[in-house]
Amino acid sequence: MTIGGMLAAAAGAVLLSLVASPRTPRCWLAASLAGTLAALAAAAWVLATGGAWEWRSVFLIGGENMHLRLDGVSALFLALVAVAGGAGAAYSREYWTDQAHPASARASRAWWSALQLCMGLVLVCANGLHFLIAWELFALCAYFLITLDGRRREVRAAGWLYLTASHAGTLALFAFFSLLAARTGSWDLGPMRERAELAPLFWLALFGFGVKAGFFPLHIWLPSAHANAPSHVSAIMSGVAIKMGIYGIVRFSGWLPTPPAAGWVVTTVGVASAVLGVAFALGQHDLKRLLAYHSVENIGIILMGVGFAMVATAHGQAAWGALALAGGLLHVWNHGLFKSLLFLGAGSVLHATGTREMSRLGGLWRAMPWTASLFALGAVAISGLPPLNGFVSEWLVYLGMFDAVTRPGAAVVAAMPAIVLLAMTGALALACFVKVCGVVFLGAPRSPETKHAHECGPWMRGPMLTLAAGCVAIGLAPFLFWPAVHAAVAAWRGTWSEVPAPESLTTLGLFHVVLAVLAVAGAAWLWRRAHRGGWARAGTWDCGYAAPTARMQYTAGSFAGIITEWFAWILQPERHEHRPEETFPRRAAFEEHTPETVLERVIQPCARAVMRVSAIARRLQHGRTHAYILYLILGLAAVAAMTLAWSQ
Amino acid sequence: MISILEFLVRFAVWLLLAPLLPGLINKVKAWVAGRRGPPVLQLYYDLTRLWRKGVVVSTLASPGFIAGPAVAWVAVLAAALLLPLGPLGTSLSFRGDVILLVYLLALARFCTAWAALETGSAFEGMGAAREVSYAVLAEAAVITAVLTLSLQSGSLSLAAMLVPSAGAGAVLLAVGLFTVLLAENCRVPFDDPNTHLELTMIHEVMVLDHSGPPLAAVLHGAAMKLLLFSVLLVQAVLPVGELPPAAAVGALVAGVLLVTVAVGLVESLLARAAFRRVPLLLTTAFLLCVFALLVAWKGGAA
Repeated sequence: MTIGGMLAAAAGAVLLSLVASPRTPRCWLAASLAGTLAALAAAAWVLATGGAWEWRSVFLIGGENMHLRLDGVSALFLALVAVAGGAGAAYSREYWTDQAHPASARASRAWWSALQLCMGLVLVCANGLHFLIAWELFALCAYFLITLDGRRREVRAAGWLYLTASHAGTLALFAFFSLLAARTGSWDLGPMRERAELAPLFWLALFGFGVKAGFFPLHIWLPSAHANAPSHVSAIMSGVAIKMGIYGIVRFSGWLPTPPAAGWVVTTVGVASAVLGVAFALGQHDLKRLLAYHSVENIGIILMGVGFAMVATAHGQAAWGALALAGGLLHVWNHGLFKSLLFLGAGSVLHATGTREMSRLGGLWRAMPWTASLFALGAVAISGLPPLNGFVSEWLVYLGMFDAVTRPGAAVVAAMPAIVLLAMTGALALACFVKVCGVVFLGAPRSPETKHAHECGPWMRGPMLTLAAGCVAIGLAPFLFWPAVHAAVAAWRGTWSEVPAPESLTTLGLFHVVLAVLAVAGAAWLWRRAHRGGWARAGTWDCGYAAPTARMQYTAGSFAGIITEWFAWILQPERHEHRPEETFPRRAAFEEHTPETVLERVIQPCARAVMRVSAIARRLQHGRTHAYILYLILGLAAVAAMTLAWSQ
Repeated sequence: MISILEFLVRFAVWLLLAPLLPGLINKVKAWVAGRRGPPVLQLYYDLTRLWRKGVVVSTLASPGFIAGPAVAWVAVLAAALLLPLGPLGTSLSFRGDVILLVYLLALARFCTAWAALETGSAFEGMGAAREVSYAVLAEAAVITAVLTLSLQSGSLSLAAMLVPSAGAGAVLLAVGLFTVLLAENCRVPFDDPNTHLELTMIHEVMVLDHSGPPLAAVLHGAAMKLLLFSVLLVQAVLPVGELPPAAAVGALVAGVLLVTVAVGLVESLLARAAFRRVPLLLTTAFLLCVFALLVAWKGGAA
């Protein structure tokens, strides 16, 4: 079966699932999973052979021939769409059931299938017009998925913000594709790196795709949308949908010439997103909002890799450019896997306790051992720790940047601070995920909700296990996945196809295997040893504290306090406190909230200013006909005067 | 056969010699204070005794409470085995192993902090929060030092980058790394390894609730980490790899002893810094490493 056949089968299966979605959830799931497998097979084929598949239709859509193309870059993203999409579909079978959500379960299934289809279309379309149509449909599907639970006000607000931001980006993309078509004379897309006059268009693409990717400071829509969407939607949004923005940036920086400054800008934006994303995450108290800010961080890491690859292109340094790009692209997969896993885990917590507020959770490991262990695995992976996948991709990015430092060239100046900031990002992410795991899963339960928590069922656990297996596989055997990443790198820049795999990748994989085995063996050994000498349970000693209560535990806010204090200049936390004052204080309270600074301190004031100016203009429109007639006469007089002045 | 033997020797050095360092430091402290002090081998006795003891575990703790110290110990040992021991070389060397070393130490930190949060105690939460927060600055300093060495040697594997000395910026790098060593190994002025009971602790407070074999793993891991940082510091500053084997071993041992004595002297002569000074101290260490980096970068060109 050819690649085209497999893609057609995937599209057919997804269409079938769309038809089956209202009445028969089982058929919907079966068809969705079949489509997923077919798409994955097609992507794997392209990545394994390194070839590209192209197809042009004889019929016209919107006056243009269909032009579909699946090469290394798009296949890499298609594989992620398939894996995360399949996992989310299976998860939603238990998470968003007809019984629990009679109003929206059908819509959830239908829009889910539509979203998969549209994302697939975005990835294979090689015609500007059709790309725009697919892009717009994809954005709309995501909107309807985010607002599934539209009865809640914050969900509607989040959906509205997403739609507005998304369209601001789409506007830039309209300009980008029309200007491109105007200058090349055709909507057809493909490699055209030799046409240097197209380079300035990259800025439009960077803005348009950047809004979707959610890098700092274009991330304003991301936290609320990801936090308020149902968890399986958050998983696909955070794991896959924002990667479409990355796809756009990677795709068009590969096909089109880029301005000389583009690499530096992308790198800077990446570094800023990485550090500030994790800083904002540390300030959050809402579990899903925190995860959403981590997406900003990881998009930053991906962009660091892509940015350095662009810098390397400008300087003709294939060796380290390919490493950095490979790291960035592998991080696309990795982040897709572990972020989906974490969001599904967060959904499982939300499902069991009904709250996302971390200060109301705690001690969940006892009721939810599977969720707790899988979430912990995702936390280790996202903190970039060996032996899991997050480390492998960050390591590749590091290798690229270290090589940029040791080879002479202008990139040294950028690579040195980038390395230091990437290391700091890693340490900050670790701090953040220690906080999340500790506050949510460890210690004593902080509220009654957590006491009735229960483990999720097999349909929710299975997808999490699959994603976790992916994280472990890439961590332990990175060399197996190198050819796929290499195919994408070669598709991005044909001349880089000769760059060999870093010879130490296999060693790293073996080291990871040994480390994992030793860690498990060491833990088992210590466990047995600890039981042999006598095992007793007692209350937490805590230096002899007699009557600890759950409220005395360290909270998420206090845990992150030191670091959020360092970043207070940008986080701008809002604090309300009543200090205990008299000898017998009556009441004491402390509350801290980290706002979305860019949105609330920059965008909203600007929007209010625009509204004020518009309100003045609106006074002209009051419904009094005689005044309108006066406007007409004045307008005519003005036109007449201008014409007279012109003619003289 | 020889390689297996060499591996065993390295393994033994890390496992068996590590607990000597805290004993030496205590001896130096006792000497400065005019006391006799505990025997140098005290930690060995403690470890043997703890290993045979039973454990008392908090009612709140999950199996992760035991797994945490175990994985942290494995991670530190793995990091140590990546580090070359002068002429003994390293068990495994590849391009980029130095990044792995830094991240293995981070893995150990994750596990220790995780185990601390298991108990649901505010003390241990406080310690874990401080540990992970200050580690951000410490890690920045370490990676800057790594960058300096990598720029100096043009290589990205520990075995190659530790052969030459750190060049003109060696003094800067030495002071910077020594400060990080003090911070990462819970020594004065960042932390006080003598007390467990104060609100001002960082590392020590995280292990308050550990007992028996898990505590032994924690203590032994801490000793290995101290040895690891000392060996790294000595090899980063001295051109150990360029000396003949006997002299190299001598230089390495002398260097590690010097670092140990210095830690003991700092501990005897300095008071613990107030907490708001800790970030400043670590930033100073980071800046020293940055200056060493600038020297390596621009000094090489001039």
